[in-house]
Amino acid sequence: MNQAELVLFLEASVRLGVPLALAALGETISERCGVINIGLEGSIIAGALGGALGALAFENAVLGVGVGAVAGLLCALVFAVVAVGLGADQIITGTAVTLGGLGMTGAIYRARFGATGTELSLPTLAGVRIPGLAEIPLVGTALFDQAATAYLAYLLAPALWFFLFRTPYGLELRAVGESPDAAEAAGVRVVRVRFLATLFGGLLAGVAGAHLALAHTGTFAENMSAGRGFIAIAVVVLGRWNPALVLAAALFFGAASAFQFFLQALGFEVAYQIFLALPYLLTLAALAGWVGRARAPAALALPWESKR
Amino acid sequence: MTSALVRLEGIERRFGAVMALSGADLALRPGEVHGVLGANGAGKSTLFNVLGGLLRPDAGRIEVGGKAVILASPRDAWSHGIGLVHQHFTLVPRLTVLENLALGTRGPGGRPGAVRDAALEVIGRTGLSVPLDEAVEELGVGDRQRVEILKALLRDPRILVLDEPTAVLTPAEAAGLFDLLRDLAGDGRAVALVAHKVDEVLEVSDRLTVLRDGTSVLTCSREETSEAEIVRAMVGDDDVDAAALGLGDRAGPRGVVGQHESRIVAELVGVRVAGRGGSGLDGVDISVRAGEIVGVAGVDGNGQRELAAVLAGRLAPESGTARLPEAVGFISQDRSREGLVADFDLTENVALAFQRKAGFRSGSWLRWEALEGAAEEIRRRHDVQAPSVRTLASSLSGGNQQRVIVGRELEMAGDLLVAENPTRGLDIAAAAFVHEELQRLASDGVAVVLISTDLDEVLTLSHRIMAIARGGLREVEEAHRTRQGVGSLMLGTDDRNG
Repeated sequence: MNQAELVLFLEASVRLGVPLALAALGETISERCGVINIGLEGSIIAGALGGALGALAFENAVLGVGVGAVAGLLCALVFAVVAVGLGADQIITGTAVTLGGLGMTGAIYRARFGATGTELSLPTLAGVRIPGLAEIPLVGTALFDQAATAYLAYLLAPALWFFLFRTPYGLELRAVGESPDAAEAAGVRVVRVRFLATLFGGLLAGVAGAHLALAHTGTFAENMSAGRGFIAIAVVVLGRWNPALVLAAALFFGAASAFQFFLQALGFEVAYQIFLALPYLLTLAALAGWVGRARAPAALALPWESKR
Repeated sequence: MTSALVRLEGIERRFGAVMALSGADLALRPGEVHGVLGANGAGKSTLFNVLGGLLRPDAGRIEVGGKAVILASPRDAWSHGIGLVHQHFTLVPRLTVLENLALGTRGPGGRPGAVRDAALEVIGRTGLSVPLDEAVEELGVGDRQRVEILKALLRDPRILVLDEPTAVLTPAEAAGLFDLLRDLAGDGRAVALVAHKVDEVLEVSDRLTVLRDGTSVLTCSREETSEAEIVRAMVGDDDVDAAALGLGDRAGPRGVVGQHESRIVAELVGVRVAGRGGSGLDGVDISVRAGEIVGVAGVDGNGQRELAAVLAGRLAPESGTARLPEAVGFISQDRSREGLVADFDLTENVALAFQRKAGFRSGSWLRWEALEGAAEEIRRRHDVQAPSVRTLASSLSGGNQQRVIVGRELEMAGDLLVAENPTRGLDIAAAAFVHEELQRLASDGVAVVLISTDLDEVLTLSHRIMAIARGGLREVEEAHRTRQGVGSLMLGTDDRNG
């Protein structure tokens, strides 16, 4: 790999890592208060379609991202009503939301653009080049010549860390994820915290989906979320439920995905499935080696009801 | 007559089929310590949870400062100056003490710095010393109890309500707490506490309320009453003899002659295990003979949990030998985690142990009629307050859960019974029943190891007494068989309590 290729590799790493980072940061917040939203994938694909339709309607990619965010939030709302409000099993509810999201978006897409998938061309999010920072050798363009959504991820990581560990609201949220009964006894409105955190996660997953459709490809395809919701959940574990580490883990996963493209491009005589599997194998290795000591929030995935 | 700071009248609260409160009254006056007594399931905790805004009453009237109020949430209770110290700890284990204290104190007060200052101020004033930056899960029960009290005091309540604050404290710690409560009441606050031990409540209270079956049956000042009258009110039987309930008689069986000839049922030699959140065992020797009760006295966290687990065959020694019999019953002190499966009903919980016994299975099939009969027998014999054996364990009060466990494990103990704080959380009558059952079991030739932090219990029941301190076990000589004698051995080299 020469220097030009390396720059391309790094740029691709960040580009592939950003949607994971956005979705995983949102999921970090909901998992910290005890909600594991397997429906994340549904929010991402809804965000992608919402982003595409919004960008078409307004002929503006930024407004498209807004529509995508709302679409992701609506998906999470369904999940929150059933799993948080009614106290249903989170895994089953989330799976239903993901499957429903994939099916619904496919159906809407076909109804709107036809079964063959007309070549859809969308307004794309322009790259925003940060003067000065983008001139840094090697990593400058990779990090600081990206779509605006990338900067959102960079800013959210420290902001969410501060929220979780330095504000009373973050403390309450973490208490809900560790021991909802104790939180309630301390006067925290457990269901409301979980509801809002889940909606926030859905909102960011919607932005992540819109990023997929609008930041680089400029198109929508059925199932284009391609499992990123589930990968984002693994990224949260890899990042030990800490927003700063979650951002790093998302970029690491982005790099692993970019790496396999490069290996394929270099033309090794190995079945391409091996390369496809690489990021997942890396994740497994990282999970086994590094997450071992980290502990999930104690009340994660446990439905909770007030005993009053 | 001073007017009451808070007054509860005709409070009713139902849980499914169980009527926990049916017309309970309680009035707390400024400047008094008010003791609330009652048997298991009499509704003491329910009443306090109503006062703390954790439970809404189905009927009844609550007045604070003469005005009717609705306490719909803990926040409501605080806004009326009511602070509740819970029986079951409501701390978040993985958060630090400081974070737990900050929890729920919104706004600028939620800044860790501000909370720290406020906490240090209260600590300085009350002497409730706790390590602020330690995670709560690293703390012992005594420290956790102090954190709970600190948490309530941080809000500077006018009315402080404590649910069983002494259950996990050593006698010295309990005495310190009582001094603090008297001081707090002296500042014009109203303090109310629930405790099981009548003498303890009499010691600290100015006035008393006794609950029975969810109703207030006696309210009076300490001078107007006696221990015997209170016990009669609690039990609801005018003929009851206080002595029969184990009050006053602490002579104990004292090294019964003849026991020494019987066979050794269980024996540990040089057993070592690493500690799980306390001392481990550091070369422990103990032998237990058929028909004797060996009492193990000690302060929590000195290796009792490990000793119980090894004797019950739940934990293998890392070195040394353990010779244990086949049929062992084990009453674990951690009933919610090790004793019962909360989402199983009584029959299923009984089945968990009984499926190993003959007659309760044929081949790989469980014989549910037999198991149900056995569960019904335990419910009846041990007076478990549950509508039926189909009731879920989680819907029973703590004391009733303990009755189920005791009933089940007594049946399992063919050769040996390991009982770890078997009467913790039980009222007098239930505790007396457990004591009788342990003695009956021993006279039937079963070896009993009674591990307890309740020194009176150990002194009353044991043929031989051993003291455990820092993972070491020492036999208490006949000459040292007094509260003071055993107490000093219990402290061992442990100077924290010195």
